[in-house]
Amino acid sequence: MLAALHGDVDLTDEAKTRSRALNQFLAGVELKAFKIAQTALRHEDDALDAVQDAMLQLARAYADRPAQEWKPLFYRILENRIRDMQRRRTVRGRVIAWLPFRGEDDEDEVDPIAQAPSPEPQPVRRLELDEAVGALEKALGELPRRQQQAFLLRTLEGLDVAATAAAMGCSEGSVKTHYFRAVQALRAQLGDLYL
Amino acid sequence: MSPVIPPTTEFERNARAVLEASLGRIDARTRSRLNQARQAALEAAGRRHGPWWRSFALMPAGAVAAALLLAVMLWHRPPAVREAPLLEGHVSAEDVDLLADAEGLDLIEGWDGPFYEWAADQSDANVQSES
Repeated sequence: MLAALHGDVDLTDEAKTRSRALNQFLAGVELKAFKIAQTALRHEDDALDAVQDAMLQLARAYADRPAQEWKPLFYRILENRIRDMQRRRTVRGRVIAWLPFRGEDDEDEVDPIAQAPSPEPQPVRRLELDEAVGALEKALGELPRRQQQAFLLRTLEGLDVAATAAAMGCSEGSVKTHYFRAVQALRAQLGDLYL
Repeated sequence: MSPVIPPTTEFERNARAVLEASLGRIDARTRSRLNQARQAALEAAGRRHGPWWRSFALMPAGAVAAALLLAVMLWHRPPAVREAPLLEGHVSAEDVDLLADAEGLDLIEGWDGPFYEWAADQSDANVQSES
């Protein structure tokens, strides 16, 4: 009985430690994941939904896995969610195109929280950053999906080739090819992107 | 965690700097929603890893109360009224008295001696009168 109680205590401690590690992991990837999803989906709410689903699925299905496996798994799940949403959006677009009366979106409503300023650098620097971010996001948006994905996972998330391949569900050779083509296309469009 | 590979070219370094700067410009509402999503995911993971006895703590109070009430009702239920068995292992005092009394024994066995003697006499008398 005493051993069983000790077992419970150990289990609880282990669960707490794992929960802390998972929290740390998710906090470390959430902004980058959002940026990747937003670049792919070009819609803030859809990107948030995709990241939330990926977090939940990772926590439910893979929390027991070693922590070093979480990142490729998480981005693999996220990529699947993004692909599902893109497919659904394509179908929805086709259906809506046939409808005679289409409702007005409420995207013109101003959300005061969304308008709240984030910690920002000085105005001139901010303007330069805005221009650079805008140019890069526009160029990224024009890349084929796989090149976009390989570039963001390698450059923004800093995954190595093997982890990127695991996240994308393809071979390491494919990752190298997609990444190389992405860099070539972006460089051709943006120059050296000096800041 | 998988190793983080630093960008190799100047373009890649600049691109990374720009992308990281873009993360800093994500608004407060989005950050808040991401934080909520993370908390929901952690809660889901916690539910999955809870020890077995914790499932009892998560049972709705109403279900627990109903189960306890049912148990108490079953425990204190009055015994059901049932027919006395025809054969019992013990003999009651009434039965002993009945057996000790010869008249009572006649009644038990359905013996009605005077009636049968009278009936037999009647039968003999009829035979004699006919002959």
